[in-house]
Amino acid sequence: MNTNTKLQTDMEKIDLSKDIAVIGGGYTGLKAASRISESGYHVILVPQHNDADFNFSVLDVPSTEINRVKALENEVANNTNVEILPKSTLVEATGVPGDFTLKFLFADSVIEKKAGAVVVATDTAVNPLNTIYGLNPAENVVSLSEFENLLASQDTKKEIQTGQKTVAFLVGFAHEGSPLLMKRILNSVSETVGMDGCSAYVYVNNIKVADDGLERLYKQSRDNGAIYFKLEKSPTVMQENESLTVRFHDPVIRKDIELNPDMIVCEESMIADETNLSLAKILRIDQGPMGFLQNENVHRLPVNSNREGIFVIGSAREVQSLSQSWTDVDNMVLRVKQLIGDGEKSISAKAVVDREKCTICLTCYRCCPHEAISWDDKAIISQVACQGCGICASECPMDAIQLIDFTDAEMADRIQKAASAVTANTPKLVAFCCQNSAYEAGMTAKAFNYQLPAGLQLIKVPCAGKIDIHYILDALVEGADGVLVLACHHGNCKSESGNTYAKWRINDAYRKLEQIGIEKNRLEFATLASNMAVDFARIVIDMEKRISQKKD
Amino acid sequence: MEPKNVMIIGGGIAGMAAAWELAEAGLNVDLVEKSGFLGGHAIGYTCKATSECLQCGACSVEKMLKDVVGNDKINIHLSTEVENIKKNNDYSIKLKKTAAFIDVKKCTDCGICYDKLKDNDIILQGYSKNNAPLYAINREKIDENKITLKEICPEGAISVSDKTSYEDLTAGAIIVATGFDPFNPERKGTYGYEKFPNVISGLDLERIKRQNGFPARPSDGAAAQKIAFIQCVGSRDENLGNLWCSQICCPYALRTAESLKHKNPDLDITVFYMDIQNTGKSFPVFYETCKNDIRFIRSIPVDIFPAENDTLNMRLFDEAQGATAMETFDLVVLSIGIMPNSDNEKLSAQMGIPLDEDGFFKNSDELNKTSTSIDGIFVAGTAQGPKNIAASMAHAGQAASGVLNYLGVNK
Repeated sequence: MNTNTKLQTDMEKIDLSKDIAVIGGGYTGLKAASRISESGYHVILVPQHNDADFNFSVLDVPSTEINRVKALENEVANNTNVEILPKSTLVEATGVPGDFTLKFLFADSVIEKKAGAVVVATDTAVNPLNTIYGLNPAENVVSLSEFENLLASQDTKKEIQTGQKTVAFLVGFAHEGSPLLMKRILNSVSETVGMDGCSAYVYVNNIKVADDGLERLYKQSRDNGAIYFKLEKSPTVMQENESLTVRFHDPVIRKDIELNPDMIVCEESMIADETNLSLAKILRIDQGPMGFLQNENVHRLPVNSNREGIFVIGSAREVQSLSQSWTDVDNMVLRVKQLIGDGEKSISAKAVVDREKCTICLTCYRCCPHEAISWDDKAIISQVACQGCGICASECPMDAIQLIDFTDAEMADRIQKAASAVTANTPKLVAFCCQNSAYEAGMTAKAFNYQLPAGLQLIKVPCAGKIDIHYILDALVEGADGVLVLACHHGNCKSESGNTYAKWRINDAYRKLEQIGIEKNRLEFATLASNMAVDFARIVIDMEKRISQKKD
Repeated sequence: MEPKNVMIIGGGIAGMAAAWELAEAGLNVDLVEKSGFLGGHAIGYTCKATSECLQCGACSVEKMLKDVVGNDKINIHLSTEVENIKKNNDYSIKLKKTAAFIDVKKCTDCGICYDKLKDNDIILQGYSKNNAPLYAINREKIDENKITLKEICPEGAISVSDKTSYEDLTAGAIIVATGFDPFNPERKGTYGYEKFPNVISGLDLERIKRQNGFPARPSDGAAAQKIAFIQCVGSRDENLGNLWCSQICCPYALRTAESLKHKNPDLDITVFYMDIQNTGKSFPVFYETCKNDIRFIRSIPVDIFPAENDTLNMRLFDEAQGATAMETFDLVVLSIGIMPNSDNEKLSAQMGIPLDEDGFFKNSDELNKTSTSIDGIFVAGTAQGPKNIAASMAHAGQAASGVLNYLGVNK
């Protein structure tokens, strides 16, 4: 390789703050504070919603565990390594991983804190769904949470028991629900049929039993007399004054079946915390579906956001049980230790800005999916935050950014060599392959001796987002008969949008090819995963066939 | 003081993920795998993407395998089992290696042994190029083929010994990540698995897809047009005493059906089910897409009979008619469930950690699913109960975090 094309960089020594901010004061937030402080870091805990106390929603905590959760609350409250900022709201976050500056609004004043990492640990809220069933809240029409509260108090429970109530549960017709909700329902059903003279009828769509112990709980409740009607459509529910009617058509006996329960327990949904939206905005992290944080991208699992140093755990990212939240907490602790370590680390640059060339147009700032770019009078790349995808380098109109391992000069060199590699009478194909997916698939195809075109050359790129349009054109100019751009599937790009940038540039390239009179089918874009060696082989062989036919 | 070694039993996705986390934290890990390959069941799973990723996580296993194989803090013991474990202050462990194995240092992945012996199932090929070595000896075929094995490798990479070899280890903590056994669908006799070639398991379909890229019927290699998935084969089955949901089979069937439909929109796919379980947080949207592409029938078929041209007749209860009906399919896929590993009882006795009533490793703390009855021993992945790939990896991370805490390793 031409050694002149390699950029030289030094290791940079940086200090990272050993203060870790935790936002959210429910079980997950407290557990996070406790585990982070155990690991020798100082915690800034921002409980958000509550006034003085922490906010356990009862529904999160099984009655058997309440004492334990209370003990955790005490432990955190008395932990000298945990600083609690009550009644505070995050309003601004600047800086880079290891050195964030956070501003909190407290009453009328602003508190400023430094933090090496930020952990978002918000909880879920409960949303009643009675209106979807056309039901109005009443003494005999209650939500699941309300019913749980009735069962939790001896007096109200006794009332249900002595009334020998027939209770109807409506589940899964207003929304799909989750195993956690189903567990709460199954527990309530079990408790109902456990009371002498009481009976439970459960009208349910899909029973969500995909968690430990739920199938057994479901069976036990049936053994104890609970009746389940599994329906695909909601039964007709009528509420007239105090009288309740539930009616549905039984497909097996082909009859309408009607019940007049004493009480209806209506499902509810567990929804994302209302502050998630503003937290995502302030922290510049991606939102996922339905108000939860974290995009659906396997590279983020379990606790990463699109930004280094900002972690999302527990029900902040998906409805979770206490044990699942604990799993998140422990994984987050691993990531914090990996990032912050003992507060000092040496890192080498993945990308550098040529300050002579930079005109501070801020294209890089806008396109960086990892929010790694800031500026003084020129663009600055945070080497801790940078993931080395190269989207910025390819987007920069001034070519002012170079990736250390994939400089433009090196890439030109590789393209020239690949495109001019001598092959027999077969088409020369140059495939630009993302190192996370297509390159792996291609190497597997080689290792397994799949049939591949003799004239195929792979060029590894850090992300499809690093494939400049001129790489493609250069390859064709240098003698390639065909060029392939092979990216990750939509939603599987480690840098979130690298494959999207690649697709845009391909479309742009098609236009350019048309203008200069080169057939479009000499360029192809496809998406692959690392384990798709068979598909990789098929794609490149198809390309070879098409080009051979054209040549004949 | 040099931090202690950790032993991880099982080199599937959970074992690999735990090993990688501990190595990242600076610990030396001994990763013990019974078979000749790392990656467990999950390394064989195929990508389920349509025009977009459906979050099956199969590619994460490929990535983890690459990271683990390339990590010099992880000492990989293939074709190795735990012979015994003694607890002093630390754990003294005796490992037992199979009588014949391929030496990773000498193997060049040339494939000569595989080409010559694959037809007799003596040499197996790994699923990934990252399997090192790429080939392994089928442990069940070692004894009767020792002489052949001795002579086949030009590099002398196949080590054959007459007596079992042992290795001693010391570990400060142990992670049990022994994974699961797939349900044997022959136990559901009325479906005719192993009797009718076109009745296959989900795992079989994964192999077929990986080799062909499309759902080829085993009987004639033709592309199946009309496909049925039967859910809960082995799971949620009171008669078998399997009172658990395997959690992975609904997502498996739905994602597979969608990815097959994406490649060939003409496919006719039916899913027979009891209750559809969620795939992830955008499940409601995904489920609606599935309902447009796939026929869902809430009924578990009674039995299957062979019909002409290798097709299959399936008897099922038709709710619309209120009677049993018969329908014909090209290919029937049994979505087999997660069973406790058959080694669990032996390991449970070796280590003195109990199993739960279903045969998975029991947690001593309901809230910490990696806990066992012994402080220095943790459980990760499906050894504890059914989990998908992402949940197994997160669980492994938690186990690794627990080990670091237990050994007092901070930062």
